[in-house]
Amino acid sequence: MNLLQRFEIWVSLLVILICLVFLWESRDLPPGSFEPLGSGPVPQATAFIVIFCAGLVILNALRKPVQLSENEETKEQPSIRAGLIISLATVIYSLVLHFRLMPFAWMTTLFLVITIWGLERFEKKKFFPALITAIVIGFASEYLFTEVFIVDLPT
Amino acid sequence: MDLELLFAAAGQILTPWPFFLLFIGTSLGILVGAIPGMTGAMLIALTLPLTFYMDPFNAIVLLVAMYVGAISGGLITATLLRMPGTPAAVMTTFDGYPMARNGRPGRALGLGITASFVGGLIAWITLATITKPLSVFATKFGPFEYFTLIMMAMVLIASVSEGSLAKGLISGLLGMLISMPGVDPATGMPRLTFDWYMLNGGLKLLPVLIGVFAVSQIIKDALDIGQVPERIAMSSKGMLMSIRDFLHQGVNLIRSSLIGTWVGILPGIGASIGSVIAYTAAKNMSTTPEKFGTGSEEGIVASEAANNATVGGALIPLIAMGIPGSVIDAILIGALMIHSIQPGPTLFLTNADIVWGMIAACLLANVLMWLLMTSSVKYIAGLMYLPRSFVLPVVMVFCVIGSFALNNTMFDVWVMLIFGVMGFLMECAKIPLGPFVIGFVLAPLAEEKLRSGLMMTAGDFSPIFTRPLPLFFTILAVILLLWPIVGDWVRKRRLSHK
Repeated sequence: MNLLQRFEIWVSLLVILICLVFLWESRDLPPGSFEPLGSGPVPQATAFIVIFCAGLVILNALRKPVQLSENEETKEQPSIRAGLIISLATVIYSLVLHFRLMPFAWMTTLFLVITIWGLERFEKKKFFPALITAIVIGFASEYLFTEVFIVDLPT
Repeated sequence: MDLELLFAAAGQILTPWPFFLLFIGTSLGILVGAIPGMTGAMLIALTLPLTFYMDPFNAIVLLVAMYVGAISGGLITATLLRMPGTPAAVMTTFDGYPMARNGRPGRALGLGITASFVGGLIAWITLATITKPLSVFATKFGPFEYFTLIMMAMVLIASVSEGSLAKGLISGLLGMLISMPGVDPATGMPRLTFDWYMLNGGLKLLPVLIGVFAVSQIIKDALDIGQVPERIAMSSKGMLMSIRDFLHQGVNLIRSSLIGTWVGILPGIGASIGSVIAYTAAKNMSTTPEKFGTGSEEGIVASEAANNATVGGALIPLIAMGIPGSVIDAILIGALMIHSIQPGPTLFLTNADIVWGMIAACLLANVLMWLLMTSSVKYIAGLMYLPRSFVLPVVMVFCVIGSFALNNTMFDVWVMLIFGVMGFLMECAKIPLGPFVIGFVLAPLAEEKLRSGLMMTAGDFSPIFTRPLPLFFTILAVILLLWPIVGDWVRKRRLSHK
């Protein structure tokens, strides 16, 4: 089974799970009082059709012959490290902003330094360009959004 | 066409502040289109929070200019890197890149830029002439007409999206389902909120959009960070099309622009499909089809004229009926709603200035796009080589700010991140993202129309089959639904006979 087939199966299963959660939550929705349909039938019907389609995708993925796709054989290996760096750093950045542990400009600068430098494989010569970019963007964005665009920031 | 209102809107755009926004919007659109991995949808979604406090007219001018710029800017990377800056420019890679590699990058870009301009112009003429009559016609639509039109649009979007019909339907209907938590539009009672007060207001369009289009793209780009593009020396030689070129490419230009406009009008299809159809038509009708894929001028002209023509075409259903012609139009609908403007057939009556502003901005942005790209494409091309390690984290910061700014709550940031991961996973499984967003935008309207129709008929569904327009839309939806299945079956039978 190639990577795409595996993704098709797992993502379809996830979609089915989401629909089941919606169906579970919609079980107690009251029938319509002054209108014939009520709140439940539309989301329920939608969820059932999505489950049906996801089932079709899973069946199709299982029926496909097992072979590596052309892309998979020739494509350059993805940089999992870079994906993890940016994902994890964003979650931590959001958590810090959520709990207001650091001012926005400082936290943004820190986030940018770590992420840019991380994506550059922590090469020494890239640290200063990363630091300068981070400071400029971190503080300039706070000024731009709060003073020019008058948008609140999580500070 | 109300020429007076059109000229008034154009005059207003040409005053300093709106013109500045038009300039900024077109320039940013071109720049973002020229940076691989950044798309027009991403730019417009990130800009939306900045327009909250703007006058609606100015906000729409800015967003429409970005739309026009981003679709055009994609041709630069498509030509010089064989990497479409926006999905709409994918067909341009087939001929633009070989021509650039053969030492004629200026000629390839020049053809693309002028074809984009002509495509945009022809689509604009259609936009300015048929939108109002179409909106007058749409005012006669009852709830069942609207409901069946939306359902037909959803099936159409699903059937022409990348991947299979089932995947397109999963995406569109999942988008519809995700939009349903919150206050029930008919009863005013909360539903599907999982007893969580944060969901009482439902999931907002902006964080979902930024997540699905921007965050998922950032993750994808980070994974591909090792790919280094090959540089092609840029020269502006042959940039301007001569009269002889126009005569030679005239039929191709007009045909491709009309195809692009028509595809744009069809709800939810967008620029990529328009350029594929126009490219195929140009190849089939060419006297030198063997040159396609090796640097054919006709190929570049067809692809670029069509993809820019879809912009004007796609604005037609948005203005006339409140139905998005593409993903970016779905975002524009969101922008209108944020400014308390209800898209739909009455828009010409309630907000004529906004509508004509949108139409005038489309024309002026096209002109500006041509001027900017012709004069400075050499410098814009340098942006393609910006290191992604610097661009991606900065864009992520803007995603966080954009989502937070909607309601000043971190809840929206978490929603954005969750939908970013979801969008990324969907992309990995080749489930198209466009139908998801269009489903998300159209679901409340579809449900409201269905339920109000049923209230009028006391629960009777029969008007769907007894009234001419709902019946037409339903039959069309069924045909679109069955077409891939029947086509597959016929193909298999032919193969087995052979």
